[in-house]
Amino acid sequence: MNGRIVACVKWVDLRPEVDSLTGHVVHDERTSGWSPADLAAVELGLTIAEAWSVSCDVICCGPAAAERGLRELLAAGATSVTRIDPGSIEHAPSHHASSADVAAALTQAVTNSGPVTLVLCGDYSLDRGTGSVPAFLAHHLSASQALGVTAVDPAELGRVLVTRRLGGGRSERLELRGPMVVSVEGSVARLRRAGLRATMNATDATIDVIEASGSSSTTHHVRTVSTLPLRPRPRSLPAPPGDDARDRILSLTGALVDRTPPRTIHATADEAADAIIGQLRQWGYLDATDS
Amino acid sequence: MTAHDADVIVVGAGPAGSAAAITAARAGLDVVLIERGPFPGSKNMYGGVIYGRVLDGLVPSWWEVAPIQRWITRRSTMLLTANQALTVDFRSDNWAEPPYNGATAYRPEFDSWLADVAVDAGAQLICSTTVTGLIREHGRVVGVRTDRPDGDLRARVVIAADGVNSFLAKEAGLYHHAEPEHYTLGIKETLALPREVIEERFGVRGNHGLDIEILGCTDGIPGGGFLYTNLDTIALGLVLQLPALAAQSKRPEELLAELKTHSAIAPLIEGAEVKEYSAHLIPEAGFHMMPDLVTDGMLVAGDAAAMCLAAGIWLEGVNFAIGAGMAAGQAAAEAIRLDDTSAAGLECYIRRLAQNFVLSDHRKLAEIPGLVMSDRVQQQYPSLVANIVERIFTVTNPQPKPGFNAIARSELKASGIRVRELVQDGWKGLRGFG
Amino acid sequence: MATYLALLPSREGSLVAGGDEVVAEARELDPAARVVIIGRGAENAATELAGLCESVELIERDSFEPSRWSDDLVDVIVGADVVVIPASPDGRDLAPRLAALTGRPLIAGALSVQGGQIVVARQGGLLEEHVQFDGPIIVTLQPHVRGALAESELAPTTTTLAVSDTSGTRSNDARLIEVFPPDPATMDLAEASRLVGGGAGLMSGDAAARFAQLGAVAVALGASMGATRVVTDAGWVSHDRQIGTTGVVVAPQVYVAFAISGAVQHTAGLGHPEHIISVNTDPHCPMMAMADLAVVADATATLDALVDRLGAAAPTESAMTA
Ligand SMILES: Cc1cc2nc3c(=O)[nH]c(=O)nc-3n(C[C@H](O)[C@H](O)[C@H](O)COP(=O)(O)OP(=O)(O)OC[C@H]3O[C@@H](n4cnc5c(N)ncnc54)[C@H](O)[C@@H]3O)c2cc1C
Ligand SMILES: Cc1cc2nc3c(=O)[nH]c(=O)nc-3n(C[C@H](O)[C@H](O)[C@H](O)COP(=O)(O)OP(=O)(O)OC[C@H]3O[C@@H](n4cnc5c(N)ncnc54)[C@H](O)[C@@H]3O)c2cc1C
Ligand SMILES: Nc1ncnc2c1ncn2[C@@H]1O[C@H](COP(=O)(O)O)[C@@H](O)[C@H]1O
Repeated sequence: MNGRIVACVKWVDLRPEVDSLTGHVVHDERTSGWSPADLAAVELGLTIAEAWSVSCDVICCGPAAAERGLRELLAAGATSVTRIDPGSIEHAPSHHASSADVAAALTQAVTNSGPVTLVLCGDYSLDRGTGSVPAFLAHHLSASQALGVTAVDPAELGRVLVTRRLGGGRSERLELRGPMVVSVEGSVARLRRAGLRATMNATDATIDVIEASGSSSTTHHVRTVSTLPLRPRPRSLPAPPGDDARDRILSLTGALVDRTPPRTIHATADEAADAIIGQLRQWGYLDATDS
Repeated sequence: MTAHDADVIVVGAGPAGSAAAITAARAGLDVVLIERGPFPGSKNMYGGVIYGRVLDGLVPSWWEVAPIQRWITRRSTMLLTANQALTVDFRSDNWAEPPYNGATAYRPEFDSWLADVAVDAGAQLICSTTVTGLIREHGRVVGVRTDRPDGDLRARVVIAADGVNSFLAKEAGLYHHAEPEHYTLGIKETLALPREVIEERFGVRGNHGLDIEILGCTDGIPGGGFLYTNLDTIALGLVLQLPALAAQSKRPEELLAELKTHSAIAPLIEGAEVKEYSAHLIPEAGFHMMPDLVTDGMLVAGDAAAMCLAAGIWLEGVNFAIGAGMAAGQAAAEAIRLDDTSAAGLECYIRRLAQNFVLSDHRKLAEIPGLVMSDRVQQQYPSLVANIVERIFTVTNPQPKPGFNAIARSELKASGIRVRELVQDGWKGLRGFG
Repeated sequence: MATYLALLPSREGSLVAGGDEVVAEARELDPAARVVIIGRGAENAATELAGLCESVELIERDSFEPSRWSDDLVDVIVGADVVVIPASPDGRDLAPRLAALTGRPLIAGALSVQGGQIVVARQGGLLEEHVQFDGPIIVTLQPHVRGALAESELAPTTTTLAVSDTSGTRSNDARLIEVFPPDPATMDLAEASRLVGGGAGLMSGDAAARFAQLGAVAVALGASMGATRVVTDAGWVSHDRQIGTTGVVVAPQVYVAFAISGAVQHTAGLGHPEHIISVNTDPHCPMMAMADLAVVADATATLDALVDRLGAAAPTESAMTA
């Protein structure tokens, strides 16, 4: 075998309970699992591994409880599963390791068993949600990257074509060659259901556990000082035009302004549809030729 | 004989299934416990009162390790009419120390704990796997099909502990008398309140708790209500008979919303935040609806065999399920040891059930569900009793007070209940519970 | 005082989403903050910063190559304590590589950067974490969270940075094959300038068909489709299409609301559309009060009539679920 695929998955609470006053988070181990994006990454890994006739290993940097979930992935067809114990790279008070440290630990585990062709990740983790681990990984592996991918089409061994979401509704088609890191959206694939016997065999399979090595120095001058329920910040909007306060209030409230006055109409369905189309046309959203 | 993958397959990791898996595994059998939820208890009703004495035989000093919320030291029965409430309140300090009586617990926690005991005993627990059918050869159950690829599994004995409305017992043709009116719908809201507030409102301390059964709050639908205290939540719910509910235009949530505004309930739950709403069927008719409990290669235990003792306001299912599960696991072991897992070989299950409390209690209480669900108990008695008490306590000076007998006679007459019925119901109740 | 640098990728002469906000945020904290645009059409992209800064440094590059770009940028950011990059695609790709190369910590997806304290969202937007730092760092800022106010229409002056361009040498970046234009049906809601929304009033009867229809009307109007939480919770529309404070915060120019009551959690995430049309049987609900055109009519029947008139194409799977 001349290639290898690795899928990286993160053990997260899928339904954390957050106190909306204090921001206190209650985690329940029983509602923890893999995000849809991470599961999609594993499924793609398995499918492409079959197409290329290579192995697909799964790696998770997370707590011992994750082994329950890793067994499910083993049953689904992963060649091997490895857990990295985060131990020393987790920081108080959130007990989260920085994405850079996680990526370093993952890199070590990925390269431990030889060169890798394709690393698959989810696009964002549900709890931290920065989407940066895959790019850090790509850096460490000197790999090419495609993040936030909505379609993956494997070509011959070591080459894939992907569609990636860009801003403004655009997307792009990219060609990558191994080593490469691809992070995928959850809609890309659904993990296959593991067979019953594979599931039974996996329940007592041993899982490789390795220790994450010491945390990088770079994170030392960043620290979390508080955690609160999220309050959206105010957005800055243009101040209303006007020379004095009265004028500004007039323009802010729209009083006396020459704009389409709000209209209320009681209408049948047909009248309603005509009114909507007429209005959109008047505002310039529809051409006269539409409809 | 065909090759098998295990000695025993237990379907459903509820209290019945886990108890069966524990006793079978402890008897040295190779046991696979299959659960459709992602973890045991995930699909089960949240909370309730568990009478744990039955666990004595499974887990010594279980009260030190089981995930208990509060020990019930106070039990009240409340009779409601639209604008009256009469409560009979009982408190016992004896229930606050080992071996205890009842306790509130969250089912996801309790069921997971009991399944872990089974795993420690050597059973293999497989979650997220639904049993979709029985494998039968020559009429005999030899295994189960699951929704996983490559999903058939064979065993010498299958124990169906798949809960109310058991699909496996039905597929095996064991149910003969299940009618819609034999089922009730249980609905429940879990309401969050700070721990101190619960202790103050319900007059309990530490990990002591209260359990209230409520009659007369179901707007004419046979059933009842309940309120249990957990550490920092309250479970408030209703049990409603199915056909009557279907005939009514009201939805169960509406009835619960009405109960929440009753002047006897509203102050108890004021300020609480709704955390969860759930609904579940309950086999209500007890002994009268039980299916055949054994067939060739299969046993049925717990709610799957309608072993829940549910009479509107009294809900004891977990203890019966555990008792039945224990007997099922032991019976499977005995049959396998004697190498006869036919219906005849598995008959020892019924013997064991009759010896322990499961069947004897059910026989004794056979008439209770019908009584509690009767029109008289549901509607006439609450208002009869409430009216009598109201008249006794109402000060009518300067008129002279009528004596108790006079009040009782006139209210009984006004209610249209005949004395003969009252005496009969009283006798049934005494015989049932006494 | 910390020195700031706003680093903005550009594509085809436009800034990636949130570029203006990154500049506004950096300039608010450090009036002398440098602004650097890197990418194709950097010069043209700089005009989008009119009134937000006085001068911009440009690095013209042909295509997006995160690995090579970060190599080239290491020297450019020297001296800036805080480098702020938009957290949109391209920015999100570039920031970790640059952080890894320079050994700076990365704080990704910030909601705000305020004098020494950075706020990031956690747990899927349920929590905010406040982070302090005392050394050089890289931050990416969520687009659409702050808005950017131009003080004038004055375009910034531009200077081209002399950066060793390693283009053409071997790099391990992906190769671009093609860029596809926006497809409103699969577009991120936050980006859509035209939105059609559906509420609980559409859920009676064959809800699946209703929302397929709504999707088709949206497509015919060149709009994206969103919904209220009641609808997404019921599973008729996927959660990434939920408009509101706990869903996607949007900023459309025009919003057409069908059977939406206008609860505050919904409207608070709606931005400030210039034009609103609302169809509802209740003329007094908040959504109707906000509308420029409030149509008191049955929304389901109105949808039928709109489908007829717009000849809306048979609903496609992608229009509904994307
Ligand atoms: C509202 C309400 C309140 C109640 N309150 C109380 C109370 O206070 N005290 C009390 O003692 N009892 C109470 N009960 C009754 C009690 O919940 C049941 O009697 C008890 O849970 C029965 O246990 P069991 O193991 O037989 O079934 P269950 O607990 O129903 O367990 C069945 C298990 O089988 C699994 N399963 C089902 N089908 C399949 C399949 N095809 N494949 C794989 N797995 C499957 C299910 O997921 C479940 O885990 C209450 C019930 C209700 C509805
Ligand atoms: C913490 C929190 C966060 C929340 N976040 C969000 C969020 O991010 N986004 C969000 O949308 N909601 C959110 N909500 C929910 C929000 O409060 C409202 O419940 C929700 O927006 C209402 O959705 P709706 O307008 O579709 O439904 P309703 O309020 O039920 O309104 C339905 C409307 O349809 C009209 N109608 C009914 N039938 C017809 C018909 N045939 N023709 C025309 N009109 C009809 C009715 O008159 C009514 O105005 C949040 C709530 C909480 C508590
Ligand atoms: N601790 C971890 N272990 C394994 N993979 C991870 C871990 N953290 C992040 N990842 C991967 O990186 C992706 C993006 O995560 P993030 O950068 O945290 O948003 C996830 O979907 C995973 O595929």
